[in-house]
This record gives sequence, structure tokens and C-alpha cells, in this order.
Amino acid sequence: MKNLYKKELNYYLDNPIGYIVVGLFAVFANFLFVKDIFVVGSVSMRPFFNFLPWLFIVFIPALTMRILSEEKRVNTIEILLTLPVSETQIVLAKFFALLTIACIGLALTVGLPISLALLTKVYLPEIIAGYIGGIFLASFSISLSMFFSSQTKNQVVAFLGSVLTIFFLLVLGTDFTANILPRTIHDFLIYFSPFNQLGNFIKGVIDLRSVFYFVSFTVMFLFLTVVDLEKRA
Amino acid sequence: MILLSSVSKKFKNKTAVDNISFQAKEGEIIGFLGPNGAGKTTTMRLILGYLTPTEGKISVNNFDPLEQRVDILKEIGYLAENNPLYSEMKVLEYLQFIASVKNSNNYAEISSEVGLDDVLKSKIDELSRGYRQRVGLAAALLGKPSILILDEPTSGLDPLEQEKIRKLIKKISSEKTIIFSTHMLSEVEDIASRLIIIDKGKIVFDGKKPKGRGMVEKLFKKLIRE
Repeated sequence: MKNLYKKELNYYLDNPIGYIVVGLFAVFANFLFVKDIFVVGSVSMRPFFNFLPWLFIVFIPALTMRILSEEKRVNTIEILLTLPVSETQIVLAKFFALLTIACIGLALTVGLPISLALLTKVYLPEIIAGYIGGIFLASFSISLSMFFSSQTKNQVVAFLGSVLTIFFLLVLGTDFTANILPRTIHDFLIYFSPFNQLGNFIKGVIDLRSVFYFVSFTVMFLFLTVVDLEKRA
Repeated sequence: MILLSSVSKKFKNKTAVDNISFQAKEGEIIGFLGPNGAGKTTTMRLILGYLTPTEGKISVNNFDPLEQRVDILKEIGYLAENNPLYSEMKVLEYLQFIASVKNSNNYAEISSEVGLDDVLKSKIDELSRGYRQRVGLAAALLGKPSILILDEPTSGLDPLEQEKIRKLIKKISSEKTIIFSTHMLSEVEDIASRLIIIDKGKIVFDGKKPKGRGMVEKLFKKLIRE
């Protein structure tokens, strides 16, 4: 699995697409945060972590859309599936390579809390919990996007499917759905929103229920991706 | 050793492979002949565990492709139809990757044997079709597999390249079971020790290659016409 992971990681490191997506993510994340400091006057990392899901909604599917759809389109999936590796190893190697790239993207924003610490007193555990939440959210979004990528040979379809699904799940946790849905339904649906689960991390709380949510959804989408590879015919 | 017993494969309403049985022993070079859509590729993919049979049983070196797919694939080198490759990789990177997954370190030896030394640092998408085919063949040979399954190894190559690939297959054939599919009857005459002809998913001939130039073609035309 280590060799498959290295191959997948090298694809992004040897290819402009990895740098473009991660670079754009870092530029947007840094710009939006700095804007908040100077325009809104907020000196907290909370606005950054609150905005993170809306950045991931585009950047994670953009990074992930080719991961299996392209393999299916050019039939290199046949190379992988006729090598002595299991479907689970293939999916996990791809998942961890993508998670590494997402973590590199997040690491490029570490300058923000450092700058903040120079301006004011920061509460470090809150920032660390926020980044941990960011990694969980990235895992969730990558596994979901991988599942969509496994369903089609068309990268654009995989991208749009992932974006729409993540968007729908995020919206469940916003005030918009709270206003249009009956309260009991909204209270039930809000649990399924990654936005809502990330909220605990943003407050500096590592809530095991939120950890369970992210881990279980990530495992579920990875499992569905493995099943898709296994049922090739 | 490969053993297929009453194997069938259906895709929705189409029967691609219909109740076929054969055995391939060590050292045999089997030419797998048949018109387009006869079931050659499907049979090969069934042996690899890439596809699941609808009926019947397959055994490869006493392993079951359904239950022990990963174990079987340690024993098999496979060149797929149309030879899909990671074209963004360099030849050396690709061979190193396949070798590492197969837990093998003989890529330098194999690349020399297959004649890839001059293009090791080239990107795969810059290679000619002949060289791409060699890369696929080298990847199949990595890990010293006891079984080679080659799906149309000379397809789309010019006559000179075809000749080179045939020579290569002959050279590497000792102590290996080789099953190769082809549309070229002369190729079977050149390389194979045994011939299996498949048509509409059924085996219509399984036996020693007929001796004499043009005899394979005669037999093939006779069986397929019927």
C-alpha cells in the first residue's frame, strides 16, 4: 500500500494540478482571513474555520474528481486491479495521498494564527481543535468525492456530484434550513451536516460525537468506493 | 497450472463465455484464437479474478481467483488488451512502481531483456506503440511470474515490431505457462505449442497446433465458418 500511496502522492507533486489547486486554496484562505481582520476587525480564527467548509466544497472535489474516474476512463484501473493488491488497499492509498495534499493545503494557512499571535493573545487549544476539525472535514469530503469519482468515467460529473452533495449537507446546518423547515425536522437533519459538526471544533471542543460523525461517514464512503471496485462485473 | 471447469460468464442478456473447460500446464504456450467478441478477453479476465464467473470453477496454481485474488496475482504477469499505461510516468518510474507493488527488484534486468534501456528516462506518452508494448510486457514480467497472460500482445504493431515481440515471448517462455490471444494466425504458428479456438463463447478446438505452414489458418477458417 505504501508504494501505491507514493505513486498517487507523486502524481500531485509532479503535476501542475496539485500545485494549482493547493496554491489557490492557500491564496483564497489567506485572503479571506486577512480581509476579515482589516475590513471586519475580527481578530479570531473562528471566521477562517467557519469559512473552511465553503472552500473545501470546491477545492476537495477539484482535487479528487480524477482519482478513480480517470483510471476508469483510460482503463488503467485494470492495471491496478490485476496487481497483487486488494481493492481496500487501492482505495486507502488514494485516500491517504489526497488527505496528505489537503493537509499540505491546511499547513499553508498556519501563517494565519502565527500572524494573529503577533497582533493579539490567542487561545492555542481552540486553534489546534479547529485544525483537527479541518482535517476531519477534509477526510469526510475526500471520501465522499472519491465515491462520486468511482461512479463515473467523467471527471466533470464526479466534480459536480460531489459539490452538490457536500453543498446540500452543509446547507442542512445553516440558518437557511432552520428558517424554512419545521423545527423537529431541522433538529434531526442538522446532525447530518458537517458544518454543524465542525462547529464544536471551532469552539475549541473535541466532541467525541463529532469525531464519530466524521469517522463513520468517512469509513462509509470509503467502504462504498471499495464495494464499487469489487463489483466491477 | 490453470484449470477452468464448466465456466460461463454472462453480462446481462449476453453470454460472453459459455461452459468452457480447459487446463493449462506448466511450460505450455497456448495460442488463444477467435474472432472479435468471441470471449477471449473475458476468459483471460476470469482467470485473473478481474471478472467473476457466473457459473463454473477456476483454479490457478491451486488458488481460487474469487477467494485468493491477491495470491493469484503474485503468480501472474498480465498484458491487458490495448495495453493501458500511466502515460504521465517515465518508463523507469512505471517499472519501479510495478516492481515495488509486486515486491520485486528485477526491473533493471527485465528492462534490458525487453530492450527498454534507451527509453528508461522517457515519458510513456512520448513512446512509439512498439515501445509502449514493450513497457507493458516488461511490467508483466516483473516479479518473475510463473504464468503469463498476454491479450493481443502484438496488436497494432508494424511487422518488424511484431517480429521483435514474438521473439521476446519465445525467449521468456521457458518454465512459464503462457496464454496469449491474437487475431494473427501466423503468430500462433510461430509461438504456440497448443491452440484453443473460441467462437461465440464456446471452445470449438483445443489441441496441439497443426503442423505445416498455413494449417492453423485452414483449421481456423473451417471451424469459424461452420
